[in-house]
This record gives sequence, C-alpha cells and structure tokens, in this order.
Amino acid sequence: MGIKLYREPELQNPVLIASWPGIGNIGIIAVDTLRGILQAEEFGEIEPWDFFYPRRVLIKKGILDQLEFPSSKFYFKKIHGRDIIFFVGEEQPTEGGRMYAEGRKAYHMANMVLDIAQKFKCQRVYTSGAAVSLIHHTAKPRVWAVPNSESLIPEIREYKNTVLMSDIEGRGGQGNITGLNGLLLGVAKRRGLPGVCLMGEIPIYLQGLPLSYPKASKSVLEVLTCNLKIEVELDKLDELDQKVQRTIEEFYQQIPLEIRAQLDRLRHTTYTRPTDPGPITEEEKKRIMEDVEKFFKKRGTGG
Amino acid sequence: MSHGNAIRVHKELTLPQSCMVVGWNEDAANLGRKVTDYLKLKLNGQEFAEIDPEEFFPMGGVAIKDNIARFPQSKFYVCPEQELMIFQSDSPSAEWYKFLTSILEVAEHHYRNLRELYVVGAMISFSAHTAPRELLAVSNLPEMKENLNQYNLNTDMDYQTAPGERPTLNSFLLWIAKEKNVPAASLWLPVPFYLAAVEDAQAQKKVLSFLDERLDLKIDFADLDQEIREQNEKLAAARSQFPQIDEYINRLESNLMLSEEENAELVKYIEDFLKGEN
Repeated sequence: MGIKLYREPELQNPVLIASWPGIGNIGIIAVDTLRGILQAEEFGEIEPWDFFYPRRVLIKKGILDQLEFPSSKFYFKKIHGRDIIFFVGEEQPTEGGRMYAEGRKAYHMANMVLDIAQKFKCQRVYTSGAAVSLIHHTAKPRVWAVPNSESLIPEIREYKNTVLMSDIEGRGGQGNITGLNGLLLGVAKRRGLPGVCLMGEIPIYLQGLPLSYPKASKSVLEVLTCNLKIEVELDKLDELDQKVQRTIEEFYQQIPLEIRAQLDRLRHTTYTRPTDPGPITEEEKKRIMEDVEKFFKKRGTGG
Repeated sequence: MSHGNAIRVHKELTLPQSCMVVGWNEDAANLGRKVTDYLKLKLNGQEFAEIDPEEFFPMGGVAIKDNIARFPQSKFYVCPEQELMIFQSDSPSAEWYKFLTSILEVAEHHYRNLRELYVVGAMISFSAHTAPRELLAVSNLPEMKENLNQYNLNTDMDYQTAPGERPTLNSFLLWIAKEKNVPAASLWLPVPFYLAAVEDAQAQKKVLSFLDERLDLKIDFADLDQEIREQNEKLAAARSQFPQIDEYINRLESNLMLSEEENAELVKYIEDFLKGEN
C-alpha cells in the first residue's frame, strides 16, 4: 500500500479538505465542486488495489485493456498564502460488506491522508458529510459542525447557519460521524491536528434514497468558503439542486397522504435552541420519526 | 518461505518452468472446480501448498452444502511430469489483491519461469445445450493473444463492465499477472442457464481439450466423453418425458427467448430431473 506523489508543490499555510461518498453525497459534492471551481491540480494518489475491489474492466479485441479502481486523489490550489490540499476518495474502503469504512483499512487510509497533510504542514483539516435531520426538503439545510478540539468551539459559534451538536434538539452534544469523514477527524485529533467536520442537513425521509442532495452541499460550501475567505460562485450547485428537487417532489407525492401530512408540518419548523418552545413539540417529532421510519422500512428504502 | 503468513507450504519443489491453471469453486456449473478436479485426477496432482483463509474469508461460522459443513479452501497442486501447477480455491471475499498476488508469488517461488497462467470461468448463456459452444479467451498481453490465435478460440471479445456490476476475480488476476509480466488468459465457456446449478460435462471437455492441446498434457478423455454421452441421454430423456421441457429447449434452439417465468420453470424441471436421475 502506498502513496504516489507526482510532484511536491511548495505550499503556504495549507489546510486539508477531505471527503468520501456518504449519505446524499453531501460532503463529496461540496469538496469536489470547490476543487473544480478552483481548478486545483492533481499531485498524488493513494494506490488503490489494497483498499478496493476494481470497479470496471475494459476488454478490447480479446485483450484486457484497463482495470479501473476507485480513485483516492490529492489536489492542491495556491491561494494568497492560505493554500488548500484537497483529498477526494471515490469510495470508502469497506470490510465485511459494511456500507461505511470501518476497521483496519479505514484507519490505515485515514493515516495515509494525514501523512500527506502533515508532510505539507497543513494547519487544519476539514471533512464533510451528512447530518440526517428532521427537516423538510424545501428548507435551507443547516450545517452541523463538529470540531476535534474544544479550542475551536468559539470560532464555530461565529459561522453562519451552523450549529454545534449541543444546539441540536434532544442531542445534548452527543452523536457520531460514521465512516471516514468522521474517522479522519478522530485520527487528526490523535495527531494533535485541529479539524472540523461540516455536515449538511438532509431530511430523514431522503437518507435511504440513491439521490445526491446538493442543497446541503451548498450550505456546507457557504460555511467553508467563508471560513477560508474565498469567494466562489455556486450557481452549478443551484442548477443541480433544481433537478434533484424535481425528483424529490415526485417521490414526495408518492408518500401516503397521512405520512405526508406529518412531513408537511416540517415545512413550518423554525430552528430552535433546546430550551425554546417550537412549532412542533418533541413528542410530535418523535411520532413523525416513528411513522416515517415505519413507512420506509415497509417500503424497503429506509436508511 | 514467507508471504505475510498467508501461505503454508507443505513441500518445497523446484521445477525449471511451468504453467498454471486456476479454477474457482463457486463457478456456474461448477466449471472451475470440475476442470481443476479433472486435471488433478488425470495428472496425479499432488498438494504442496495452501493459502491460509483467515484474512480472506469471513470467519463467522461455516456454510453447509449437501449436508456437509464446508470451510474455505485454497490449495496448490503440482503435476511435475507435465510441469503444471493447479490452484483450486473458494473465491475470497476480502483482501483480494493480497490473495491474488499470493497465487503468483507461490508460482514464481517454485517456478522461476512461470510460462503461462490460465484461469477458468463459466458464462451463463441463454442458448440450448445442443448449440455449438465457443470457448472465449481474454489475454493480458498481446503476445499471449498471438499465441492463442492458433487454436479454435474466440480471441476477439469486446467487453466492459455493465453499470452496477463489478469485474470478475479472473480479470483482477489477469491484471495482476500483467503487472508482473506473466502471460495469462481467462478462458470463458458459455454454460446454458438451466445447467448452471448442476454440471455441464460438455463445457468441461471444451476447456480441458484446449488445455490438453496447448499444454501438451496427453489426457485420455474417454471417461469424460462417456459422461457427456450420459448427460446428453438424460437431457434427451427429460425432453421426451416432459413435452414442456422439449418445447422450451426447441425454442432456445430456434434462437427464441423464453420469458422469465419459462426460464425459471425450465431450470427447475432440469435440476429436478437430473438430480432425481442421479
């Protein structure tokens, strides 16, 4: 297992932004969109064969022409003394048929990514993923931010449209981040490298669908770019979101009326602190969750 | 000999050069297992090494097949006279690269010059068992294809993985062999879908005949020819006893497709009949 660097750019005060696919592909769409907009240059990769099974073979005229593996690539972009290293993993290395990375290989990959971050003296690590929430798909998703150090909390409190876990109703500051988007944050903590995971909210009833959720990716990018002090146009994500929203609406109309009536109440939810009375009570939220879970379990698409 | 503790060598061997045939136990119509079993039997293959299953197979219990508890096996056999090595194994479900690389490492350790590697695979076909069978070969190097062109094989196949599917282990092994500059080919034999869960002696013979010719094994196929005759007779008996089977196979022989329900019905008829006969 190895890392292949095609070149070693000289970077100033870089940060690492890493992501892998996950629910709604929120994190990876955010990171890969920013990478594309900034035209970051590829400079290395993690060799895939020990981590992944190949995903495509091409045979031409009876000769094995190509065997493609999921890629795990590093890119860089120089930006006024605050440079960026991007890491984009096309798949999470899974073991034992699990959906998300877990175990020895995941830990190994997280360490390899951080080896590069530290080789280039990254000051901070960002990862990104999804936060499954009791929100409606017409609402603007918030960003849940999880730092790996208490010292980052005051800074996060200044981010727009962002909440800490302690701000989420009923969570009491607890939770977990599944897969490598979370594991990287933990391994970075172990190495003393500050990091934040930014998770865009996705409605609970969409988590099991094979859909991306660019609306949440946009929320993540708004926070990330503001924090990095870079200005980018996110029109592409709006276009993508419009297309996805049409599909979501079609799906939504197929949900039985009584469940949909419950979900419709989420349209009017405003974000509250745990102590504030909301338009929907905790009891009602619990019931909506149960009804929704029951419906999707029956339908076979529940996440 | 150390291969990251994955390989257990029971007997050290040295041969100047050799070829290798690989077959997987889970193949349709048991083709990989039957072909390698037949080679072991006819060429007096002696087990000399195995791959430890721990890293490559789930160790959460055992599977039961035909009333017997099974355990993953990955064994190497050698036929010194023919300078042939055989690898017969269950398909690993983890650490595929390490597993497949181990196969080549064993070969390279024992045979400094691994001349050629062949891996056997069955393809499900929607043709009748009476249709002519074409053996397809995919090579990993142009020179290998060149060598195979002199045989009665289809060596011009075009293929790419369909969306939602993954490449086969055979393709993965071919690619690793290519990285090591070992000439290799995967041999693909179409097996009628209604024989996929039983056995297909005709398919075995087609693959074995090619290997016999290419590797100069000098095998006497009289027993396998007898098995083919018997299977053909059983299938003919099934057709005459069950007009529905005959009609379905007739339609396949006329290149007509059956519906999904008809496919399932034909599979059940044939499986029940052949198993009942046995």
